[in-house]
Amino acid sequence: MTTTPTTSTLKVTDPVLLEFAAEVGASGKVAVVGAQTRWDVGGQPAKGVRQLGAPAGVVEYKPEEMTVKVRAGTSVSDLDAELAAAGQRCALPNRGGTVGGAVAVGEDHLGVLGRGPVRDSVLQVRYVSADGVTVTGGGPVVKNVSGFNLPKLMVGSLGVLGCLSEFVLRTNPVPGVSRWLQFADADPFAVFDLAHRPGAVLWNGTSTWVLLEGYLPDVEAQNTLLIKQWAGVEVEAPPPLPQHRWAMPPAALSTVGPLPTGEFVASVGVGRLWGQRPAPPTAQDPVVVELSRRLKTNFDPTGRLNPGRTP
Amino acid sequence: MDLKIDPEELNACVQCGLCLPHCPTFRVTGDEAMSPRGRIKLMREVQDAGAPLTKEVLRSFDTCVQCRGCETACPSGVQYGHLMEATRETLAAKGKVTPRWQRAALMALNRPRMLRAGSAALAIANKFGLVPARLGLPANMPVRQAPLKTSGHDVYLFTGCVMDAWQRSIHAAAQRVVEAAGYGVEPTGALAPCCGALHMHAGLAKTTRKFARAMIASLPDRPILVDSAGCGAAMKDYGHLLGTPEAAAFSARVFDIQEWLAPNLARLPVSEPLDVRVAIQDPCHLRHVQQVHLATREALAPFVSELLELDDEGLCCGAGGAFSVLEPELAQDIRARKLTSIERVDPDYVASANPGCALHLASSGVPTIHPMELIDAAINNTPLPAK
Amino acid sequence: MTSFLDRIRAAAPIASRYGGSKFRKPTDALVADLEAALSPGQVRADGAQRALLSHDASLFDGGVAGPVCFPTTGEEVQAVVTVALRHNRAIVPRGAGTGLAGGAIPFGAPVVISLTRMNRILEVDVENRVAWVEPGVVNLDLTKHLKRIGFHFAPDPSSQQVCTIGGNVATNSGGPHCLAYGVTDAHVLAVEIVLASGEKAMLGSIGPQDEGLDLRGAFIGSEGTLGVATKVAVRLTKNPPAVKTLLLSFASVRAAANTVSAVIAAGIVPAAMEVMDQRITIAVENFVKAGYPVDAAAVLLAEVEGLADGVKIEAEQISAIGTQNGATEVRLAQSEAERELLWKGRKTAFGAVAQIKPDYYLHDTVVPRSALADVLEEIYKIADRHQLIVMNVFHAGDGNLHPLLLFDRRIEGELDRVHAAGAEIVEASLAAGGVLSGEHGIGIEKQDYMDRLFTSDDLDHQNRLRNAFDPSCRTNPGKVLPMAHSCADIQALRSVPAGVWG
Repeated sequence: MTTTPTTSTLKVTDPVLLEFAAEVGASGKVAVVGAQTRWDVGGQPAKGVRQLGAPAGVVEYKPEEMTVKVRAGTSVSDLDAELAAAGQRCALPNRGGTVGGAVAVGEDHLGVLGRGPVRDSVLQVRYVSADGVTVTGGGPVVKNVSGFNLPKLMVGSLGVLGCLSEFVLRTNPVPGVSRWLQFADADPFAVFDLAHRPGAVLWNGTSTWVLLEGYLPDVEAQNTLLIKQWAGVEVEAPPPLPQHRWAMPPAALSTVGPLPTGEFVASVGVGRLWGQRPAPPTAQDPVVVELSRRLKTNFDPTGRLNPGRTP
Repeated sequence: MDLKIDPEELNACVQCGLCLPHCPTFRVTGDEAMSPRGRIKLMREVQDAGAPLTKEVLRSFDTCVQCRGCETACPSGVQYGHLMEATRETLAAKGKVTPRWQRAALMALNRPRMLRAGSAALAIANKFGLVPARLGLPANMPVRQAPLKTSGHDVYLFTGCVMDAWQRSIHAAAQRVVEAAGYGVEPTGALAPCCGALHMHAGLAKTTRKFARAMIASLPDRPILVDSAGCGAAMKDYGHLLGTPEAAAFSARVFDIQEWLAPNLARLPVSEPLDVRVAIQDPCHLRHVQQVHLATREALAPFVSELLELDDEGLCCGAGGAFSVLEPELAQDIRARKLTSIERVDPDYVASANPGCALHLASSGVPTIHPMELIDAAINNTPLPAK
Repeated sequence: MTSFLDRIRAAAPIASRYGGSKFRKPTDALVADLEAALSPGQVRADGAQRALLSHDASLFDGGVAGPVCFPTTGEEVQAVVTVALRHNRAIVPRGAGTGLAGGAIPFGAPVVISLTRMNRILEVDVENRVAWVEPGVVNLDLTKHLKRIGFHFAPDPSSQQVCTIGGNVATNSGGPHCLAYGVTDAHVLAVEIVLASGEKAMLGSIGPQDEGLDLRGAFIGSEGTLGVATKVAVRLTKNPPAVKTLLLSFASVRAAANTVSAVIAAGIVPAAMEVMDQRITIAVENFVKAGYPVDAAAVLLAEVEGLADGVKIEAEQISAIGTQNGATEVRLAQSEAERELLWKGRKTAFGAVAQIKPDYYLHDTVVPRSALADVLEEIYKIADRHQLIVMNVFHAGDGNLHPLLLFDRRIEGELDRVHAAGAEIVEASLAAGGVLSGEHGIGIEKQDYMDRLFTSDDLDHQNRLRNAFDPSCRTNPGKVLPMAHSCADIQALRSVPAGVWG
């Protein structure tokens, strides 16, 4: 690929990012490590790779804009706490890891129906390229179609295209009321149809959980509507999620065959399932595989970024 | 080539494309050359940029139904009808559109006796199944029709050309309804044989102007009620066409019959509504040109049990005056869309205030009826046509 | 019976008499191969057709279309692309041609692929909350089709009555209701595409993203430069049980803009928040007669939806916030008909300005919501400086500005002043921490501003993304990236044999 002449006079000036870029450098195999909570996703990291941590901290939080600029190494718990203080939240799941890890893995919050998917919440991404320079994709505002969508490419990339350093994330107001109901004997798909845009409908083969969110009178009305249909009780929290994630068309959940009841929690209407064992490998479109390979080659010609992992 | 389009009017289009889905020919072809935006662009290319009149350009102009659905959709207020009329007039004068046989056929419209004789012959041929279905003649076309009689001099009822020859029963129903409201009616008959709308469409504006001047002279003073949306639209445009105060005053006296009846409903006898579900098909020249289509609903509402709306926002049915005869395949594709909308509401009757639309739809099996026939049936207990 | 398409074939044979130096006859071999791959009626090379498809809804001239193809299936798109590849000719996909950034304008006489005849809704799969559609399906047609089962397609650009789903995918379209629902990429789950190589690929899936990179997300908004979409899986959104639409009048644009910021700051995300200034309100009211207050300096159209109680609560809060910020009147739409009329006014606003001047230039930038009032003030000053009339109508809730500069292209120098003012508007938006485009895209309009937002390294990486999909830069060349950052594009544009196109 040809190199291109420089025309832009803009430069990255943030010393923290510059320092991180220098740390990544332009040669040698390197992996950015967060809390290693999902270190099993996408294959085992190669041995003998230099590991480093991304910068941490909330850089700029603008509740009135519903955006937050946060470094990749920040823990999701810290971010959540800062947002909660202003009555807001974000789309990242908190499974004990970092913001960068959550974006790199790209797994959605179990309340994705109310919070939106992670990939829609990353407005701007900054990463250090294989050449050791900081690259910015997207923009800091809530709506933007200026140029190619690098943020989308980074969500779920497991850091193999660039070392993630900073994001601008969309935030949202915390609903007035969030309430979990549990039903011992309900049809989860009927619950999903009946409830108006629930935050989540979970199912483990016997029990169904539904997350109602919104203004108190609306939640009360939805609560009454569902309780009239099925016997249910309010509970503190959803069930714990097994480790491994599966994905399928939402309607296919009704025919989950290989997993016995109690060994999975499924997200109805989403097609996500967390199982106690890994999902069976699925066949991939060879053209898609080739496209992904070319992307990897274009972004990281020498294969120095997070070797061993494949998104 | 100068198409003699008013440059200001031609310049008004900003090429935004909001007209595209409201154009029946674009809807069925997806072809920019068969859209209002495309046609205007080509008019500019020809008139302003010296592009030659190729057969593709002529084809683009030729396939316009002139429904003017684009005009009501246009936020810039482009007077598309004027653009296309000017284009066709210029091209017709140069012999580029409207071949001689079409002109001859159009001239017959202003000659009632010839038209009646020809229609009777057609009716007989039709009974023996000799007329191609695509011409869309009414199935029960009368060989002889009882004449309409003058009952007073409060209003004129414009009877026109083809409609009077083929569907006089609608005029009769309209006359009975107006009389029931307490007005004396004078059918115009030979006083005003033809409005010239079809000639205008074909680019023969000179002929239309001649008809217009004659009609203005022969129908003084009184309101003129029109039960054909296409004719009404043409007569309301005489003011613009001739550009004289007399013509403007005449146009101001022209009313679509539903438009005129709506404020007079209280004068009609009270009756039980008919137990029928009626879908309203808005003729383009009522909805997009005269823009009085809501009056049809107002006039019909008291007389039928249920009025149904089609969900296609008044997209043309493909009749377009002589369009369905000149461009049968395009017209059928356009009609197919209308039929789908009609099927979705599944009415007993489809009420159309334009004879051309009614015939075009009826020839594909749609039970069409004129709004006046429904009101007549409700207040005078006249039998409804079979569904 | 001869089919309708046969008739068009007969009416529009390929050999064109539409001569002139601007539009010469294309090379016969290419057209012949395209005709062989499709059918003669699906290939048009006459000058009229090519003249028409050299434009979109933008102001840019200079496009030159090659042969125009009307495929009806994904396989036919593959066939067209393969022929183009064989002839070393670029391709440009096209929907309804309503783009405002020049994204569909062909350069260098490429094969134009018009997708208007791929307009079938293939499957509505309620269980999976998804519909499979062809790219030529009109946005509003899809929503109307879904209405009967209580769903809709959420992105609703102002041109939704005419723009296509394929076009929405290409530009990652927004619309008033994207404030709450998100733009197109939140509502497109999978896209089947044909690459410049002629290969077909399915990007994304109707389940959650799992294995692999989000190629779907990379494709959406790529303005036709990565391939041609041939099938799209769109998410179905349940219609809300309750909707309330408020119309607030203000004595200044600043007060309206402040209200918008205050609503967001209060933790309310309405379905839509749109502001129109007085000039545009007058033009709109003249067209739709919806009862817009023509004496207010600005109006805010706010819509809330959801369950009945929440909708009531939010409507009251917005009303109160408006009043605190100086709203002179707060009106609640009383019927569905009134609501529809208000929205019709908003969505046809751009065209309505032609009542004042024959031409307009519609800009599209995004600024932080809190900067709205200041940037708007700056925009009015810029227009004054250039002696231009500016009108503002915009997706206020997103901070997405749409200043309309009015002009008459026949007046010497007026368009130059429009461009100069436009450049200053872009700079003002960037200076406020904004971006180049919220929904129209970069196309050819803002290519030269890209280096005002991105570093050379950023642009280089965008080009690497492009290059992975289309190494020879054959799909819609010359768009989005500034030329210096897409060398291969320049080569593609020069690939037409000398002398063929003049």
